[in-house]
Amino acid sequence: MNVFNAAVSGLFDLLLAPFRSLSPWIALAVVSLLTGFLMLSIYRRASNQDGIRRVKNRIKAHLLELRLFKNDLGVSLRAQGSILAANLKYIGYAFKPLLVMIVPVLLILIQLNDWFGSRPLRAGEQALVKVRLAEGYSPIETDLRLEASAGLVVETPPLRIEEDREVDWRIRAESPGVRELILRWADQSAAKKVVVEDGRLARVSTAKVRTNIWREISHPGEKSLPSDSPVTTFEVRYPERRLGLFGIGVHWLVAYFVLSIILGFAFKGVFKVTL
Amino acid sequence: MTKIKGHPLERREFLKLGLGAASLLALGSPEPVTMLRGQNETARKVLILGMDGVDPHLLKVWMDEGKLPTFRRLAAQGGFSPLRTSNPPQSPVAWANFIAGTNPGGHGIFDFIHRDPSQQSDPSKFIVFSASATEEAKRTLKIGKYVFPLSGGEVRNLRKGKAFWQLLEERGIPATIFKIPANYPPVESSQRTLVGMGTPDLLGTYGQFNYYTTVPAEINEDIGGGWVHQVYVIGNRVDAKLPGPANSFLKDQPDTAVDLRIDIDPIHPVARISFQGQEFILREKEWSDWKKVRFSFLPTQSVGGICLFYLKQVHPEFKLYVTPVNIDPSDPALPLSTPESYARELAAKFGPFFTKGLPADTSALDNDVLDEDEFLAMDNRILRESLDMFDYELGRFDAGLLFFYVSSTDQRQHMFWRFLDPASPTHDPALVPRYGAVIESIYREMDALLGRAMEKAGRDAVVIAMSDHGFNPFRRAFNLNSWLKENGYHVLKSERRLSEESLFMNTDWSRSRAYGVGLNGLYINQRGRESGGIVPPGPGKDALVREIARKLEETVDPKTGERAILHAFVGRDIYSGPYLEAAPDIVLGFNRGYRISWGSPMGRFSREVFEDNLEKWSGDHMGAPEIMPGILLANRPIRGESPALFDLTASLLALFGVEKPKELVGKPVF
Repeated sequence: MNVFNAAVSGLFDLLLAPFRSLSPWIALAVVSLLTGFLMLSIYRRASNQDGIRRVKNRIKAHLLELRLFKNDLGVSLRAQGSILAANLKYIGYAFKPLLVMIVPVLLILIQLNDWFGSRPLRAGEQALVKVRLAEGYSPIETDLRLEASAGLVVETPPLRIEEDREVDWRIRAESPGVRELILRWADQSAAKKVVVEDGRLARVSTAKVRTNIWREISHPGEKSLPSDSPVTTFEVRYPERRLGLFGIGVHWLVAYFVLSIILGFAFKGVFKVTL
Repeated sequence: MTKIKGHPLERREFLKLGLGAASLLALGSPEPVTMLRGQNETARKVLILGMDGVDPHLLKVWMDEGKLPTFRRLAAQGGFSPLRTSNPPQSPVAWANFIAGTNPGGHGIFDFIHRDPSQQSDPSKFIVFSASATEEAKRTLKIGKYVFPLSGGEVRNLRKGKAFWQLLEERGIPATIFKIPANYPPVESSQRTLVGMGTPDLLGTYGQFNYYTTVPAEINEDIGGGWVHQVYVIGNRVDAKLPGPANSFLKDQPDTAVDLRIDIDPIHPVARISFQGQEFILREKEWSDWKKVRFSFLPTQSVGGICLFYLKQVHPEFKLYVTPVNIDPSDPALPLSTPESYARELAAKFGPFFTKGLPADTSALDNDVLDEDEFLAMDNRILRESLDMFDYELGRFDAGLLFFYVSSTDQRQHMFWRFLDPASPTHDPALVPRYGAVIESIYREMDALLGRAMEKAGRDAVVIAMSDHGFNPFRRAFNLNSWLKENGYHVLKSERRLSEESLFMNTDWSRSRAYGVGLNGLYINQRGRESGGIVPPGPGKDALVREIARKLEETVDPKTGERAILHAFVGRDIYSGPYLEAAPDIVLGFNRGYRISWGSPMGRFSREVFEDNLEKWSGDHMGAPEIMPGILLANRPIRGESPALFDLTASLLALFGVEKPKELVGKPVF
């Protein structure tokens, strides 16, 4: 899984590299455009285009029937029933391509969440570091130590919460750049990247997780922890990123879906796709 | 947005100006020339630093000792004079004198606290705040336990008369007014104004802190200005509630609250505080940043505020202090500024900031919830926040008036005067080396602030440093209502319950001829005015007023042999203006070292008329105005023997060439 994550993450890093110094809206628009193209081509190949065209024509015909025979209750009711049936058929036709698209879309969303979900820490800003332990490990008995590279400061002693099998620290970012936290226990250690804002868009991996297929897929930014590690999650609580639009903070997911839909519809003719 | 003289111009005003100018040109009127002349007048810059409570005696001593070089330089450039304060010398009264350019008879603020004589029989409505009033929605729809407002509630500023920045606005002179007291809610204006003293917290009070402790001995339900909650540490975890405003959408208006979860480390002095999806860690003796909190009324209705957390102790006992929940300036639930966007602009630039009127929590220090260092840490933060905004405003100050207010001078003198005064009942010589210089240091901070202001304002700017009143020691407390009772002017229903009840709940109004409300006010229980009044208006009442005033002036403190009241002023003799009816019949001007007791202003009685003041609140300014002047320094010569606060208003208008309206009583001093 680490190799797969590294490959997909590398692809996104490469794709977004030219846009890092620009507004995040531009980077998101580019990804939305490319995603729109990908989705349109998947939709064209995976869907029954003739069937969709037929059912859409049928819906149009029944809508016309409704207008023409609006004084005839029997015909109107029949037409409405037919529109409902055609709609269900249309949904059926759309279901297959959607099923095919769900995997790439999910992978794209996970990657985008790393880029747009959280913002890097600012110099001087504080953040919580949370370490969760596997069942059977006590945070009080497990001697966990946190060390910080230059540019970061660990500000508090460990706060050990037995009830949640959790150990928390507070860190403070001192200077821009990609910094590192080292977590040590017994004779083992794990390193975690901490991104401190340098004015450019950056991948922000919030957590490093223990090997587990789903958790690894959802945290692709860093190499996972070994499966026998007592630590299951090594997390930095970054601030949430909002994309500024006329003074309003927009969640990236909303922005992405709106942009993807607009761009998808704009280019459906180019791809000769009937939606 | 269109900008004129550094200020955003509303569309309505833009159209008004545009239409006005066009029509004048069309008529060939000479008025545009006048307007141009007006614009030239606005090119003058006036910068006023309002330093609450800075005392002329202390200032002079430290200026003479060379500790305040900038004040000294300013005085040498223009002048330094004591500034006659208001009567009584309370901040809302004094600042209202300055704002309206009148005595209290012209603006209607006579004390921090007023009474509503028509509500004498209802203790919950009889004693009211003087400067603002909140009214709930008049029309509501009740469905089951829910109450839906059909009309809006209202917060009203009770200060009457036009504010000087409104007069300047009429002449197109821009002004920025930063936290001037007695301006809540802010009066209508397109000038930049930010509210100050008098602004409530989110709960609608003058500030309620929350203190969570595992020490039963610290639980005291009788703490004014805060709630102390007993909490328990169970499994290294504390569960508590942060109280919020009353839920007016429910029938019985229960208080809202937010659940707090606090996890503490079994050994290390550190805790994690979690609520509403937020988590942060504090070390012992550490303050948090501003935290946003939302109180929910209905699934679709909630209100947001901001507060700071201070982890006082983790082991062996747990102690956590939370500031009063301030109105969030980035999303104000109540009006904080004009234009409304100004508070949001400052919040966007500087982040959340204190919005409660007098933000330093003197109650917490008085009740040993915070110690001196902790209080100073908080007040330093307040000062730092304000000074950052001052630098910002100073940076864009290119014309008109910039007024900037500092509260820390007043608050620190209230709380640290005992270290300057060996005769104070709470003077502790052992602590003098540590805190004896606190007041001097805030004066030095003001000196530095003045230096920055003089440097950046430019050579042509008029720079004024002023305060609303001076300071005196507060050693002995005088319970006016107990004195009235002892002298037969006030009668209680039950002597046994003498000191148990406040708000005159134990008063027999049918036999009481006088009562005291507020910090300096005495009222006759007048028939036709007070709902339970018994003294007929006319010569009889006047004679009673003179008799009580004479007796008060003769009253001697048995412990010291000193007169407690230097002057008992008759309200009608000292005030003039349209709001005279609301004035106290007698205004007490206390002697040096004396002040009203803690209970008397709210209708509470004590066994003794005189008591030692055992609070840390050891400096005050309720004395006779002649012993409590403020300061006036300017880089222009000051004319006249004893300028007053309202003279400064007239002077300000004169500096901008604005004709003084006839309601204003002062005379220009520059």
